[in-house]
Amino acid sequence: MEIKPELLGKKTRDKVIKYIAASDEQPPYLLMDGDVIRDKVAQIGKNIRNARVFYAVKANPDIEVCRFIAGLGIGFEIASEGELRILAQIGVAADRIITSNPMKTFRFLEEAVEYGVNYFSYDSKTEVDKMARCAPGSNVYVRLTVPNEGSEWPLSKKYGVEIEEASTLLIYARDKGLNPVGITFHVGSQCNNPYNWQSAVDKACELWETVEAAGIKLRMLDIGGGYPIRYTKKVVEIETIENKIDKALRQSFADDVEIFIEPGRAVVGDAGVFVGSVIGKAVRGDENWLYIDIGVFNGLMESIGGIKYNYIVGSRGEKKPWTVAGPSCDSLDVIDKKVEILEPEVGNRILIPSAGAYTISYASEFNGFSIPKTILI
Amino acid sequence: MIKLFEKDPYAPIQYVYEVENILYRGKSDFQEIMVVENRHFGRMLILDGVVQLTERDEFFYHEMLVHILLHAHPNPKKVIVIGGGDGGVVREVLKHDSIEKVYFIEIDKEVIEVSKKYFPGVACGVDDRRVEIKCMDGAEFVKGRDGDIDAVFVDSTDIIGFAKSLFTVEFFKSVKDCLTDEGMFVTLSESLHFHKEMVIEVQEAMKLIFPKVDLYTASLATYAGNWWTFSAASKKHDLRTMRREYAIDTKYYSDEIHAQAFMPPKMYEKLMNKELRW
Repeated sequence: MEIKPELLGKKTRDKVIKYIAASDEQPPYLLMDGDVIRDKVAQIGKNIRNARVFYAVKANPDIEVCRFIAGLGIGFEIASEGELRILAQIGVAADRIITSNPMKTFRFLEEAVEYGVNYFSYDSKTEVDKMARCAPGSNVYVRLTVPNEGSEWPLSKKYGVEIEEASTLLIYARDKGLNPVGITFHVGSQCNNPYNWQSAVDKACELWETVEAAGIKLRMLDIGGGYPIRYTKKVVEIETIENKIDKALRQSFADDVEIFIEPGRAVVGDAGVFVGSVIGKAVRGDENWLYIDIGVFNGLMESIGGIKYNYIVGSRGEKKPWTVAGPSCDSLDVIDKKVEILEPEVGNRILIPSAGAYTISYASEFNGFSIPKTILI
Repeated sequence: MIKLFEKDPYAPIQYVYEVENILYRGKSDFQEIMVVENRHFGRMLILDGVVQLTERDEFFYHEMLVHILLHAHPNPKKVIVIGGGDGGVVREVLKHDSIEKVYFIEIDKEVIEVSKKYFPGVACGVDDRRVEIKCMDGAEFVKGRDGDIDAVFVDSTDIIGFAKSLFTVEFFKSVKDCLTDEGMFVTLSESLHFHKEMVIEVQEAMKLIFPKVDLYTASLATYAGNWWTFSAASKKHDLRTMRREYAIDTKYYSDEIHAQAFMPPKMYEKLMNKELRW
């Protein structure tokens, strides 16, 4: 079977096939194509004026992946001491690190301050109090709620405040000896609706002007992440989204405002290809079940949240609809239903493209199944 | 006079044969099988409209698929033949006294039966006690075997018709794993006239997996493109060198042919660099 280019870029396909051919590594493992990461990094932020890009480490915290990204010169967005330690190990300077976690643990905050990290987001008074104590004088930015329609992974309910409260919090932070520098928002992960950024930018502008009137001059707007990648559906191009954002920014903000972008999925998602194997087949009722060695608990957690993956098998069998399930004995471990796949043999390899983001970072060893190794190619 | 228009979907040329008699026509689970008679070529086996062999010239192909490897190998005992339900490859393999076991893997049992009936001179070896016939997918058979096989012969264009794909790589890998440290592998890989790109792809895929890969050719009158290639791979030994004496009865293959069948080194380099401008 030829692998269609829309499922896997030709260059990545060749690298993956080459790796599989030459290596004795046993599946499952995750291959990360550095060239794809490099291309994505070159693309993100390109069309937004005065932009700085910070890779959201949670998408894929593999140390070699982070080292590679560090080499590309962009910054990092982290949320925990664990992520900070990875960056510390590869020697990323503190001025390249920000944290947009509005509710930080004490330990993280202490370690971040000690390391020299100086950008912290927040959305509550308790966090201001915490930061005033552990990180006095730090640059802080407030998290605003924005519409999350059209994103596959809405986030705004958990974090963020409305304009009035955000304004109060910026003033409160100043009064507590912190340095309020900006605003952040997140339109939701895998957001396929460019208008979300536009309305978010408008909302941020309103807040910006409100606090300016109160004597606080902000200088930074963090537009979060959320750029979508192609799984099984076509998505809006990054360039289109950025052009829209840039237009909105130019209308509402001065030229010297710094724009921070925190992409995770968009940087590493398309670079990753899971290489697994078919461990069993069964017919249950009128459903064909396909069991593979990568499941919901050891890599494909996002399938539960609705992400649909593609599957490539090296098979000459017939195309059939399959219910694809992972290896664990938990009934939740069903990855997808009614997926058209050529019937493979047990033992065949199965490739899952677009698996670079939020896969291994979610994986556990539940039921004794190991977490697939990440290999940068 | 009935005329047979060959239906090879991949060839930019079409051959037409005069048919004296249709001796057999049937449909198996896998393909349409036909045996016809032609004044010049004798009996011809046709699968899904494509000529597989003719009595007159089948030995060119069968000898060349088999004897290069079996002379480059120092002491071949156990081999696998994938495809080639007509039995021609098995017949050639059995000419070597060192052979103790032939696993003959043909997915379509009916091709074997039809050949035994209509091509006794080709299928003559399939009932030999050293031959074990298995009607299954060859790619499945080689999977997960111990490394006890000395040579694998693929007499099927179908099995490598997926160059550069995951299938090819998985197949080549399992072939390598089923071979001994001195093991060798050969497969037909299309014509240099018509399908140069595919030849390159097969060679490239083989090189990903085997330390030694080479290419030899033979001229086959009834296969479209005529100048056909055989892609061969080896885990240890160079294939151009004969390690056994030529002491079998053949019509085309000989020690002389062994020495000249391989593509000249500079030309091979050009082929792989895509510098052959045709």
